[in-house]
Amino acid sequence: MNKINKLDFSILEELLEGVEKPGRYIGNEIGIKSKNPDSPAELSSMVFVALVFPDIYEVGMSNIGLQILYDIINKHKDFSVERVFSPWVDFEKKLREKNIKLFSLENRIFLDSFDIIGFTVQHELLYTNILNILDLGGININSKERGKDNPLVCAGGPAMVNPQPLSRFVDFFVIGDGEEVSISILNIVKEYKKNNREKRWFLNEVSRLDGLYVPEFYRFYYYDDGRVKKFEPEIKVKKAVVRDLNKYKVVTDPVIPNIKTVHDRFVVEIMRGCGRGCRFCQAGFIYRPVRKRKVEDLIKYSVEGIKNTGYDEISFLSLSSSDYGKIEQLIEGVINSLKSKRLSISLPSLRLNSFNLKLLELIQGGRKSGLTFAPESGSQRMRDIINKNISEDEMLECIKMAFGRGWERVKLYFMIGLPFENRQDIIQMSELIGKTIMAAKGKLSGRKLSRLRINISINVFCPKPFTPFQWVGLDKPEILYDKFKYILNNARKRYVDIKWADPYRAMVECALSVGNQLVGDVIENSWRGGARFDNWSDFFNFDIWKEAFKKAGLDINFFTTRGFSDDEILPWDFIDIGVKKDFLRREYEKSKKFI
Amino acid sequence: MKNQRNLSNNGIRFKFYKKGEFRYLSHLDISRFIIRALNRANFEVVYSQGYNQRPKLSFSQPTPLGIESMAEYADVVLCNDVKEDEFRTRINRELKQQVQVTEVRRIIEKKDKLMNEIGLSLYIFTLDSECSNKSLIDRFYKEIDKGLIKGSFFYDSIFDYKVASQGEENNIILLKIFGYAKIFKEKNNQFFKFNDFYIFLKDWLKEYKIKVKRTRKEELFILQGGDLKTPMEVIER
Repeated sequence: MNKINKLDFSILEELLEGVEKPGRYIGNEIGIKSKNPDSPAELSSMVFVALVFPDIYEVGMSNIGLQILYDIINKHKDFSVERVFSPWVDFEKKLREKNIKLFSLENRIFLDSFDIIGFTVQHELLYTNILNILDLGGININSKERGKDNPLVCAGGPAMVNPQPLSRFVDFFVIGDGEEVSISILNIVKEYKKNNREKRWFLNEVSRLDGLYVPEFYRFYYYDDGRVKKFEPEIKVKKAVVRDLNKYKVVTDPVIPNIKTVHDRFVVEIMRGCGRGCRFCQAGFIYRPVRKRKVEDLIKYSVEGIKNTGYDEISFLSLSSSDYGKIEQLIEGVINSLKSKRLSISLPSLRLNSFNLKLLELIQGGRKSGLTFAPESGSQRMRDIINKNISEDEMLECIKMAFGRGWERVKLYFMIGLPFENRQDIIQMSELIGKTIMAAKGKLSGRKLSRLRINISINVFCPKPFTPFQWVGLDKPEILYDKFKYILNNARKRYVDIKWADPYRAMVECALSVGNQLVGDVIENSWRGGARFDNWSDFFNFDIWKEAFKKAGLDINFFTTRGFSDDEILPWDFIDIGVKKDFLRREYEKSKKFI
Repeated sequence: MKNQRNLSNNGIRFKFYKKGEFRYLSHLDISRFIIRALNRANFEVVYSQGYNQRPKLSFSQPTPLGIESMAEYADVVLCNDVKEDEFRTRINRELKQQVQVTEVRRIIEKKDKLMNEIGLSLYIFTLDSECSNKSLIDRFYKEIDKGLIKGSFFYDSIFDYKVASQGEENNIILLKIFGYAKIFKEKNNQFFKFNDFYIFLKDWLKEYKIKVKRTRKEELFILQGGDLKTPMEVIER
């Protein structure tokens, strides 16, 4: 691309009139690092990257992956990256009415003026947003119809471990950690741009890198019923892995959002990966091996980050923070170094017990927010099946202790529709909710008791690629509804608020998660049918998806409730995630011992 | 522990503007932006005591979203004594070009909260009469008092107004509206509702073929006796 087109501020002003939360679209935050696209010298040699998070600003800006890539790429002298988020529906309407293309936040560069567009995709229900963003940016959604005059389009992030449903739309995928490979890719983009190479040359070059999947170079054959017959070549795409996290500095000067975001605080990743091995959890397998940062570095960077950003809250992020051996040393170190400042610390994935409850009291400086537990299931049998090592006694003991010490709120996470689930498991889930109420009630009286609220969140188990349960079929929506009904009818509503997930949305999530290339047509049909923000319950419309499957000539049950047989080629078998299929199968067999 | 009296000695009142993109940030967003800038500039802000501890930082009335403001005021109590110039230099380094502190004064005597003190907001509407003609403009001047002010729903919410032409060809008209920002018992007045007035104004101007080119909040005033004083003027040196 030799010319950069930008949106004038005066047009943005017109667009923003009457729009909800205009702060989403203005950029200009503290911590912006993009380079100036107005200098002609830079224009020809610089690679301009759009980093797209296909959800709204408030969600995207809470994502640490986005901040990491933004930092690494922008710190490179030859590359400049700008952010793009999904516009909310009101702003999309304005863009379409006025026929204005979607633009980046930093320099308001139109999407189709970038050299490369990279999507960071956290989950499957954002797929329609991806197509929508390409379309709003004036870019053809089909990879094959984009030539060298169009931006290259790539995608990465946890959902992309099964890239097949999006393979028609995206030129190449990045599987695994992005820190190292993104720079390697951009070096190739630089040469592609400078020497005016063909797109195929580029794809060929990047396909040699670890973690790179170029759909154009693979061919998949299917049986008539839609199962994968074989793929060619039989070469696996190996996940990109950063072996030592300590090689990369914590981002201590992130972009600080101007409007309130979902997680509005300074975030430090203390550990990547999780050794727990819960059999339903995709993150637990795809982020292996477990890698920890050095505690002394973490203390140093935490202090630096708090000073740089002005935040008064820090979050130590990992999949299981109690498994970071030196968590106490870290917390003490940070508190001691920032004595004069007001600071609260959050540990989003702390496994609570009586021991670390004290830790929690220490870091919250006397403020007693809520306690969160994720027993996932009500029965010990089921917790053994899924390999979730949390005992009921320990949890109830901790709740008793906490409520005795002044805590007033507790939240429990459950899943239904787990493999081999029976009526007894559901009854026991309902009983566990009752026991939690009793444990809390026993320690409260008077006004505090009348204020007691226990939040219960019940999700639908959705089989995910690269987990021991990847072969399992999704429960039928009718069955899931029955299970919800039982729990709702048996919960003491005076004390509990129950939120549950839509089984039909789980169905779509499942189809997109374990689907093959054929599902691409369904995504396109749904998007054309008006599907957007499918992760938002206000927007999700199953009828659109039902129609989309019908139009594509596919049966949604084939991709959801059917499951996979053990000798079947799975759509993601051409990816080497670092965990062997045999191992996952053995784990699945192990889970059956507890039935 | 410092005692309360000592703390109020470290009170600072500052005035800042928000322009450009920053007009699109809400009052709460701006206050978060300011508190983070104070933290980055390494000022130690005093916090209230109790369960929900909050920084001792209070702002003047919110400016409607999307409107430029030259007159945002805030009072903050710091743990240490900081000179006015130093405060301005240090905080401005941590702000953006579109949000800058213009005036700083130390609060010697304990003052009421800004929101309780401020009685009037001055808005300036820059009107463009380029597409209009002389007779229409003359009619505009003649009818403004009755049509826009006294005869409108907004009369009880407007303390005063001024209208004057500007520019070489007189095609720019400045309309200054002093709207009430609080209720005065003795005046039987209403709050000036900017957004409602703005819609009404644009519609009312159509007849005269005049357009609103720009709007901004220009200044805030405290009514003292019969005088208008800015929040800075009421603080004695």
